[in-house]
Amino acid sequence: MHDFLDQLEACVPALRRYARALTRNADLADDLVQDCLERAISRRGLFRPTGPVRAWLFTILLNLHRNARRTSHRRGEAVDIASIPEPSTPASQPGHVALAELARAIETLPPEQKEALLLVTLEGIPYAEAAGIIGIPLGTLMSRLGRARAALRVLTGTPVEPHLRTVK
Amino acid sequence: MTQITRDQLTAYADGQLPETERIAVETYLSANPDAAAEVALLLRQTDAIRTLFGPAGAETVPVRLKPRRLAAEIGRRRIRSWGRAAAAVVLVGLGLGAGWLARPLIEAQPASAMLIADAVNAHAVYVAENRHAVEVGGDDSEHLSTWLSNRLDTRLGMPDLVAQGFTLVGGRLLPGEPGAGGRAAQLMYENAASDRVTIYVTAALPDGTPAYQFASYDGAEAFYWANARITCTVVGTLPEEQMKAVAGSVYSQLTEGDVGAGRPYRG
Repeated sequence: MHDFLDQLEACVPALRRYARALTRNADLADDLVQDCLERAISRRGLFRPTGPVRAWLFTILLNLHRNARRTSHRRGEAVDIASIPEPSTPASQPGHVALAELARAIETLPPEQKEALLLVTLEGIPYAEAAGIIGIPLGTLMSRLGRARAALRVLTGTPVEPHLRTVK
Repeated sequence: MTQITRDQLTAYADGQLPETERIAVETYLSANPDAAAEVALLLRQTDAIRTLFGPAGAETVPVRLKPRRLAAEIGRRRIRSWGRAAAAVVLVGLGLGAGWLARPLIEAQPASAMLIADAVNAHAVYVAENRHAVEVGGDDSEHLSTWLSNRLDTRLGMPDLVAQGFTLVGGRLLPGEPGAGGRAAQLMYENAASDRVTIYVTAALPDGTPAYQFASYDGAEAFYWANARITCTVVGTLPEEQMKAVAGSVYSQLTEGDVGAGRPYRG
């Protein structure tokens, strides 16, 4: 039991980070994490798969977020003003992706691409685990990641690289 | 030359390639500046994303997100809800007890009301029927009388309403109030104008005391009486005078005097 709570505690910073990136609202994000932890605590033993709790927690969090998104679609979304990065920060170095632009570009991604991209890039979660969390086959995850990154490249105005020749 | 896929490049940028493949990709990148630029871009994207959102993971975790505290809170809530459940059980128990004790008070009046409601409902259901208005036709009134008398466990004759212009269509057996034998008989009569009246008869209520009631219910007129042997409700939508004449005739034919005389009911 205490071991389990320790494992949860170790995951909280990552859950907050991911939730914040998904919602762009600090309060909403922490609400999401709290819901997720409460659910995990009251369901432990019943539904918890054996193995590390991280993937399980991210699955719960993601499901809660999807449900909330479905509901808020009808009400209109609240975005925390403080979470929107300052605009007009031009790229300091050539080739550097402007952060504000990137943040806005991520906002415009379809939710399923955003979920996948953030799991892998922000959280550094292995592909197989990320596919399990989202509940999709590995191939689907890879193509979502590919589309997300291509979209970001276009949206942030980075010139499209010449196509890779060796594919297969 | 090893073939390198786009997925491998992505995986390389994401740090998700096994050692052997990583070396192969590095060799490939050193020979392919385009691919190297692509990988560099991917890395910059990842860096930028981490710069944007990473700091949230380094913030001090608020107390409300401490698992131990949450677990304790959930434990307390469980105990409280068990307490509430227990309280609810006690309250329901008290309510049932009080209701049981108050039963005679509550039931004294509505027995007739329930019977009248049943009678009116059965009337409304079956007068609308044409071919299936009755279960046993009035042409076999002797059988009908014997059958219903047996089922209700009381002698039931078919009142004669010819003087009021009504002839017996027939009758049927219905489920009834448990307090009045659990069964009811419905007799249906019809006049030349196809107006129908029904007579709803059950065995006597447990107390068997005489009672009389005239009620207007759901657009129908109902004349109800009870005695030591039966309860009877005459239901129809006739004008009041006609209704009274019919009910009066039924009443006089089905009252105890007739039974006491041992005279078979006409039918």
